[in-house]
Amino acid sequence: MRRFILKRLGAIVINLWLLATIVFVVVNVLGGDIGRKVLGPTAKAEDVAAYNALIGTDKPMIQQYFTSIKNIFTLNFGNSYQSQSPVIDLVLPALGRSAKLAILAFIITIPISIAAGIFAARRQDKLADRVVVNVGLGSSSIPEFVTAAVLLALFAVHFKVGKVYANPPAGTSIFGQLEYLLLPAMAMVISYFGYIARMTRAGVITALHADYTRTATMKGLPPGQVMRKHILRNALAPTITVISVQIGYLFGGIVGVEKVFNYAGLGTTMLNAVGKQDIPVLQASVLIVGIIYMASTLLADLLIAYLNPRVRLDAGS
Amino acid sequence: MSEMKPTPDDSVEDIDAFIEAAAANLHDRKEARRESWRLLRRRPSFIIGVVIMGFWVVCALVPDLIAPFDPLDYRTDINASPSWPNIFGTDRGGRDVFSRVIAGARDILKLAPPAALLGVVFGVILGLFMGFLRGWFDTVASRVVESFLSLPVVLLGLLAVTTLGKSNLVVMGTVAVLFTPVVARTVRSAVLAEADLDYVESAKLRGESTPFIMFREILPNVSSPIIVELTVRIGYAVFTIATLSFLGAGPPPPSPDWGSQVSDNYNAIVSGYWWSTFFPAMAIASLVIAANLIADSVQSVLEGS
Repeated sequence: MRRFILKRLGAIVINLWLLATIVFVVVNVLGGDIGRKVLGPTAKAEDVAAYNALIGTDKPMIQQYFTSIKNIFTLNFGNSYQSQSPVIDLVLPALGRSAKLAILAFIITIPISIAAGIFAARRQDKLADRVVVNVGLGSSSIPEFVTAAVLLALFAVHFKVGKVYANPPAGTSIFGQLEYLLLPAMAMVISYFGYIARMTRAGVITALHADYTRTATMKGLPPGQVMRKHILRNALAPTITVISVQIGYLFGGIVGVEKVFNYAGLGTTMLNAVGKQDIPVLQASVLIVGIIYMASTLLADLLIAYLNPRVRLDAGS
Repeated sequence: MSEMKPTPDDSVEDIDAFIEAAAANLHDRKEARRESWRLLRRRPSFIIGVVIMGFWVVCALVPDLIAPFDPLDYRTDINASPSWPNIFGTDRGGRDVFSRVIAGARDILKLAPPAALLGVVFGVILGLFMGFLRGWFDTVASRVVESFLSLPVVLLGLLAVTTLGKSNLVVMGTVAVLFTPVVARTVRSAVLAEADLDYVESAKLRGESTPFIMFREILPNVSSPIIVELTVRIGYAVFTIATLSFLGAGPPPPSPDWGSQVSDNYNAIVSGYWWSTFFPAMAIASLVIAANLIADSVQSVLEGS
């Protein structure tokens, strides 16, 4: 297990370095003069030069590259052009608010979609199965902001359920906040339900037909125990992987959802940065999302290895 | 499929038999293609997908024939609720929402399919090299592919549009580049499965060049996953480009682009004017679902699930 973890950590370090390189290429190499971008076409040349000197983009490309690689490992992303305060102080609280929304979404999604996947798998090719598969296919293919806009119109405005603006006033209790976050979270639930349900269904169907399941049934184990100890233990590995990937990818969809509900999360912070050409903030947000993705896939791999000894033995050898 | 492939024999006498087998194989392949097409046409989900997609393609080609009003024309009533003659109502600029939804099909359809196609072409080339050359090139490229996959496409898209400038070309190019790693990964694994088969070995022994083997021998045999990937990518391209344009990377407000329309009008939902957001939103949903219905049918037929 230790070897397995070390190996995965090594891969993550390489991935982070490559990620920082990709972002560096997009921003610093292809993007051209950052100072000009940030300050706009009407700014004076000496102001642009001063800004470039301030953030270090006047240095040789190779030196900038080493700094940016160092920064991702030390989580030092420089100062925001807008507020002059460190980017990290701006991004982390916003990330916290997005995380709150995301956690609520996953708390609702995971049990519902795993249950739906198992339900569908046990009725393979029957009507109930087709409904789950097709609803999942449809709901997960619609962009999150579209679902969010429809939920906003239908529930918040028409039925007066939930809130139009998702920002709870300061001092609202955890349960009070739920009312504010429910609709944006539901938009994400609808989007991610399909992937997780379909992956669970596929995993359970494979496990249902496996030899070990037949053996377990034949030796007279009660069906509940076969389900829990034999089928789910094996079938959930791909589901766990999909969930971990969704945790990283949800930060793509959450931007649209936050915009629709005017929620002050990481997505809104990024959109403000886009509007103000605040490249350091945008760069940091993208890198942090990449780090979250890597952390969540690492956790998923560890969980799968913990559940299934075959995985950790294969990786160790 | 692979067991039907003829392999040239060393003995000269068998050359006629070999040519005959090759001809038969070509015939089989045509038959198989016809059979796939027949199976596809029988699937209701494929038909529904094609009908919806076809409708939007017609709208994109000849919007003036379907739209009753000029999509950019300011009519007298702003935020008028759906009624005759403005069956989808009017938006906050007093423009006919129905005409704008029809006209907006062009903005997404001129970007999404080309972006998907470009991404698939890049991905196929990269995947062929990775799977066929293997070795250090594959190791390095696989790592790069993996790190690309660790970021949501929409976020990298936002970053690219911000630093490179807001234009159709940047949006299309970014989506194509971001799809390349995903496609490359799929093609790579398909190529790996082919690379050890006899026909590749015999092509190598015949002294064929590496590009010839990759593009003329292997490529036709991995066409199924590539076609599936292309249909899947079109759906994702619509998804991604619509989201990017909602987030502000699309054409500016007077444009009838669907994502821009939603972005321009969603704040009016609070005041009860849902139609100016709802109909373009539904248009996006219908187009993505149509693309996915087609992709799903193609996948089932070609992969036999």
